[in-house]
Formats: sequence, C-alpha cells, structure tokens
Amino acid sequence: MIYLQDISKYLTVTALTKYLKYLIDNDEHLQNVYLRGEISNFKLHSRGHLYFSLKDENSKINAIMFAGHASKLKFKIEDGMKVLVKGKVSVYEPSGNYQIYVTDMIEDGIGNLYVAFEQLKKQLTKEGLFDQKHKKPIPKIPNRIGIITAPTGAAIKDILSTIKRRYPICETILFPSLVQGPEAHLNLIKQLQKAEEYDLDVLIIGRGGGSIEDLWPFNEELLARTIFDFSIPIISAVGHEVDYTICDFVADVRAATPTGAAEIAVPNLVDLLNLIENYKIRLNKSMLNQIDNYQIWLNKLRNSYVLKNPMAIYQVKEQMLDHLIENLITNMKNLMERKKNKYNQIASSYVLKKPQIIYEQKQNNLNKLIEKLEVLNPMSTLKRGYAIIKKNNKAIFNIKLFKPNDEIDIILNEGLLKVNILRVEGKTNDKGRKI
Amino acid sequence: MTKEEKFEEKLTKLEAIVKDLESGNIDLDDAINKYTDAMKIAKECSNKLTKAEEQVNKILTENGKLEDYAPEE
Repeated sequence: MIYLQDISKYLTVTALTKYLKYLIDNDEHLQNVYLRGEISNFKLHSRGHLYFSLKDENSKINAIMFAGHASKLKFKIEDGMKVLVKGKVSVYEPSGNYQIYVTDMIEDGIGNLYVAFEQLKKQLTKEGLFDQKHKKPIPKIPNRIGIITAPTGAAIKDILSTIKRRYPICETILFPSLVQGPEAHLNLIKQLQKAEEYDLDVLIIGRGGGSIEDLWPFNEELLARTIFDFSIPIISAVGHEVDYTICDFVADVRAATPTGAAEIAVPNLVDLLNLIENYKIRLNKSMLNQIDNYQIWLNKLRNSYVLKNPMAIYQVKEQMLDHLIENLITNMKNLMERKKNKYNQIASSYVLKKPQIIYEQKQNNLNKLIEKLEVLNPMSTLKRGYAIIKKNNKAIFNIKLFKPNDEIDIILNEGLLKVNILRVEGKTNDKGRKI
Repeated sequence: MTKEEKFEEKLTKLEAIVKDLESGNIDLDDAINKYTDAMKIAKECSNKLTKAEEQVNKILTENGKLEDYAPEE
C-alpha cells in the first residue's frame, strides 16, 4: 500500500539517476575498465562519434566512442568484430542507460599481428625494400598479364572483367594460389617463381577483402623478399582500400582493389584509339598549317613588287643614277663657283688691279704731310701778319728777356727790321709775347 | 614482350613527330617525310589495336599446363 502521507520518501527519477551516476562515477574500478567483446549495432554518427554495443554470449553493454578518440583508430569498425576496449562506465541520464565511454580500441587477437606487422614494415623500410628507386615502371600497353590470386571469388572476376571492359585484346594467365591460411604465402611464392617463366609484361598479385588474419599471408617476410627480387613489374591489390599489407609496400604499384589493379595494368582501348586518332588529326592540321604557311610565303614572294615589275629594279637604279649625276654636276658647279669667286676676289683686289692708286695714295699722303708741314712752318705764320723777334739771333718771346736799348731783329714775311728797344712794359699776356 | 615494346615505342615516336610538326621548326621536305612516316605508324598502331584477337584467359594447372579459363559467373 502506498501512503500519501509518506510522499516525502518518494524520489524523483532524476534524483535516482543522479544517485546511480554518482555511485558509478565514484567507483574507481568503473573509471578504468578494460573490456573485451564483439561489436554489434555499429553506427557512425555524421559528427564522427561511434555508437555500438559490445556483447558476449550472455550480456551486452552500450558503448560510445567520441570522434576525438575514434579518429585515431587504425582499422575499420564492423559488426561482428571482436575488440579490446579501454574506457570508463557512466550513466547517460536522459535515457537512464549505463554505458561505456571508449577511449581506445584494438582488434582482439590481432594485437600481436599488429606488432609483427609494424616490426617487419620497419625492418624492410630500413633495408630499403620499399624505396621508390626500386620501383619498376608499369608498361602502358601489355600483351600478357599474369595474375596470382584465388581461382574463385570476387578478385579474379573483377580483374578479368575490368581487363575485358578496358582492353579486350590481351592475354591473361592466372596462377591460382591460396590467399589465406598458414600455407598461403608459400603457395604465392611458388606461383611467383613459375610466373617468371611466362614472358609476362606485368603481374597482378592480390585478393579480395578480409580480416587482418585473412590478409596475413601478404604480410609474410619471405613473400615480400620474393616480390622485391621479381623481375617483372608487380601491381599489388590486397583487400579493400583501407587495407595495407607489406606486399602493397614492396610491390611496384599498390592498387586499392583488384579492379583498381586491372585498371592500372591495362590502358583503355577506346582512349588509346582516340589518342591515335587525335595524333592523326594533329598531324593533318600541322601539315596543312605548314603547307598554308609556305603557300602564303610563296604568294607573298610572287606578288612582291620586284617580281611583278622587274623594270622597277632598273628604274630605281636609273633614277638613282640621275640623282647622282645631278649631284655631281651641282657639286662641280658649286666648286667652280667658289674657286672662281676666290680668284675674282684676288684678281680684283685693289692692289693688283690699280697699282698706281697706291702710288697716288702715297703721293696724296705725302702732299698732305707737306701741307701740314707747310702750316707748321713758322715762316708761313709770318704770311698771315705775325713776326718773329730775335735777339742775338735767337727767337725770344719772353718779355723779361728784353731790356731798353737791346738791339733786336724783327723778322717779317718779306724782310727784317733791325730795331732798338725804347722801353719795356710788363705786359705779359699771350698777345704781348707775340709782339 | 618485344612486340609490346615496339607498340609503345611506336606510340612514343608518333607523339614525338606530332610535337615536332606542331612546333613548325622543320622544313617542308622533312615535314612531308615525317608526316608520311607518322601516318604510317598511326595506321599500324590502330590496326594492331582493332585487328588484335579477343582476350584469351588462361590458367596454369597443377600439371604445369596452360588451359583456357573463365571465372565462374
């Protein structure tokens, strides 16, 4: 019976859930859980979180792996896969579910295989078996293709149908082999050795998808070394796109799938025919181009002025000759003119033309000088009425040198006066001097 | 194998001639000769592709013999 008066004893769902979550979150064993189980109900959320269940024969637990952890996984999750996980248990309150929050996960039973794979890969890398320099080129157009795979199953079917679709004119030889199980790698090696004898252009080795254990023969060291020593280019196609094996690394080319391997091995016949057709078109085009160019060149030459008017060559020369002659005449004329002018200048020079003029000129100058002298002749002054006074036969014009009773000569133009001075008066201006 | 190499060589040669002619750095006589060669090669190549036999699939049997093979449908 439920007694309403005891209502305070009743918990809310939330309270209970919170309590359970509290208990679980505080249990150190549940915070660090290592769990093994099989994956079911796997769902990849668009945001990268993984949702799945882990189960065994009797029990089941929901699991979630957030994208941050999930992105580090090195394998693809599938239902039915047996895994080892690490995580913590907690309660998702909205649905009241307890679940494990997975932080790390590996495939169960293959942990050791992974270690072996990584070790071998490291070793062979170190030895240089995967070096690009050892990779043989795949021929573009093979005649005969070898295939090493299982004679039944999807791989051989995919390979042959792809070759038939793309390039249905080559020969294939299947070297049937086991592709899984402990003996498989020895079988693969034996078939590789046989394949060497069949004049192949390229060889495809591979198988369809499977678990890592299934693919394991392709991780065997002996097979890797046989492939490395193989004389024919090898395309490896083991499993799906996400699967990588040692065989893939050591082969000359790795294809994502058997179909991919066939696509690498043969060209597309239609593409090839188109290519040849395209070459033909380009050949015709460039040949026509070239002929066109020559034609244009030829026409240009034919239509050139000189070939059309051969007289033009002559005419040009003729005209040039005229021009030169004209120049020559003009230059000669000019030269003559200049010389003539120079001659005339010299010939007509004053001196040469009238030598008496110089004489006359000199005569003239002389006369002028004589005239000047005439003017300067003191006697000529006398003509104009002036007189010279001499004392003791010396011309004197200083009044102070005269004394009364001095006998002086007064020279006039046409005679001489002998005079005695009566008196001397001190008038000493210019006029007085001349008296 | 040698046959196949020949085919690839032919194709390579064809490509080279096409590029040579397209460059235009070649005199007319040479161009005509090369053009004739190239057309011959092109014809040979396409003949080889179109007239080749259908794909033959074989399998190496236990006793070391090649037999015709068809994958199960």
